[in-house]
Amino acid sequence: DVHMQYERVGADVTMKCGSMDWDAAVTWTVNGTDIDESHLNGSYLILKNVSVMQSGQYFCYEGSSWHLKYQTYLSVGTPPKEPVLMCRSNNYPKGFYCSWHLPTPTYIPNFFNISVIHGTKEMVCEKDAVPKNRCHIRYLQLFSTVKYKVTLTVTNALGKNFTTLTFDEFAIVKPDPPESVVAKPVPNNPRRLEVSWQNPSSWPDPESFPLKFFLRYRPLILDQWQHVELSDGTSHTITDAYAGKEYIIQVAAKDNDIGTWSDWSVAVHATPWTEEPKHLTTEAQITETTSASTSSFMAPPTTKICDKGAVVGSGAVAVCWTAGLVMAAYSVLFI
Amino acid sequence: MAGADSPTAALQRRDLCARGIRLAGKMRADVVNLLDAYAERQGLDASASVAAVEGVPPAAVERWDEQTGTQRLLENLAAYRAFRALLAQMLEEHREQLGEADAALGRALAAVLLQVSAFAYHLEELLRLESRGPRGDEEEEEEDGPPPRPHGLFEQKLRGLGVLRELAQWAVRSARDLRQLAKPSPAAGSATGPAESP
Repeated sequence: DVHMQYERVGADVTMKCGSMDWDAAVTWTVNGTDIDESHLNGSYLILKNVSVMQSGQYFCYEGSSWHLKYQTYLSVGTPPKEPVLMCRSNNYPKGFYCSWHLPTPTYIPNFFNISVIHGTKEMVCEKDAVPKNRCHIRYLQLFSTVKYKVTLTVTNALGKNFTTLTFDEFAIVKPDPPESVVAKPVPNNPRRLEVSWQNPSSWPDPESFPLKFFLRYRPLILDQWQHVELSDGTSHTITDAYAGKEYIIQVAAKDNDIGTWSDWSVAVHATPWTEEPKHLTTEAQITETTSASTSSFMAPPTTKICDKGAVVGSGAVAVCWTAGLVMAAYSVLFI
Repeated sequence: MAGADSPTAALQRRDLCARGIRLAGKMRADVVNLLDAYAERQGLDASASVAAVEGVPPAAVERWDEQTGTQRLLENLAAYRAFRALLAQMLEEHREQLGEADAALGRALAAVLLQVSAFAYHLEELLRLESRGPRGDEEEEEEDGPPPRPHGLFEQKLRGLGVLRELAQWAVRSARDLRQLAKPSPAAGSATGPAESP
């Protein structure tokens, strides 16, 4: 018979060699390697203060005949800590999903069970194939004031734990970020950038459930963002860009009426249109291309895609101005 | 029935829907503020779960996307007529209990009552347009008498919380309903849900 046993990290483990007497001569191996006799008490294998590294296949052989008398797979791990559970609706009003993970690994298999209750009704959360730690629910009712209660229980051979989330329908609505953000210079306009984007493809009905958007932008050389909130449309023209400076731009989305802002979209870069130089000496060209601040005489670049931005908190409503700071920073560049 | 789908009627519907959506948005913002003030004044937790209160029309609905335009309007109208009566009662109770002691809350209640009345009237206009004729029976059916008064002071407070909370939900639902109604549809009164069902 092949046995399996689960033991906690730090425990002392005693393995008996099946039905062999205590004073029988035996040899223990782990993963094909003989175990030193110092770990034996008679025919018993004694493992003190076990660690995860000692997990493995253990065999016990009769001393002279090398008949296999006992085998077991030892898994050393920990009982589960309280799991981390998150529920969100990125496809309102169709439904919502919940996803979870353990804050620390247990090193042994864990089993998750999720229950969703709405009032007195138990709802089925259908497990996703990928990722495994996620399930989704279709809304049966909309506009309900009754809260949802989601309980996630995690069990393994060494223990169990659980966590509960309670929320109402509107609170968990959070769209995915806008997609296909594009920023382009506007010909003959050295202070403008045209930005356009699309609704996230996961949002099923933007006509009935319109999104509003939050755009933030700044020149790469400055840390302060400027913000614009847009109640409709999927484009905006920035009209106060600094001539010749490369900008980073991101967009976030929120249902017009409920829920929270999405994460920021993938960041895009763009530089406003600049006039082509008519006459340049060779020396001036070399100076321009080696200068870190550059771009006064560069042709307008195309949009570049860069790293994903940070999660957005609550959005500001108006355009932010820090004129004094900006002007000071701008002046420094041209000293 | 010839005028129902005419360009004029369609434009009128879109215009009324757009105004209704703005009204609903303003109403919701005011109701949410009132809800917080009311809960604080009454010593209640605004986020606590409250069982369904008798006489308060629940905003919750199943198969919302399958409703016809007329169904949406009728359910909305019935709800706002009920809220009108409930808020009037709340205002009366407030005046009886507190008089001038909390005039600000009284004014806020009165302001929301006014918005609810205006919204109900707006819905009646839309329903008239959808019905394509003079006032129908469903528009006359409103007066069932005042809602029953809760017996005790605590029950009154709980009901008040329930009224405002459901009204806030209805304001969101109404905006969604009106957006559905504003969509161009092949015939008035047909379902105007999204292309794919959930």
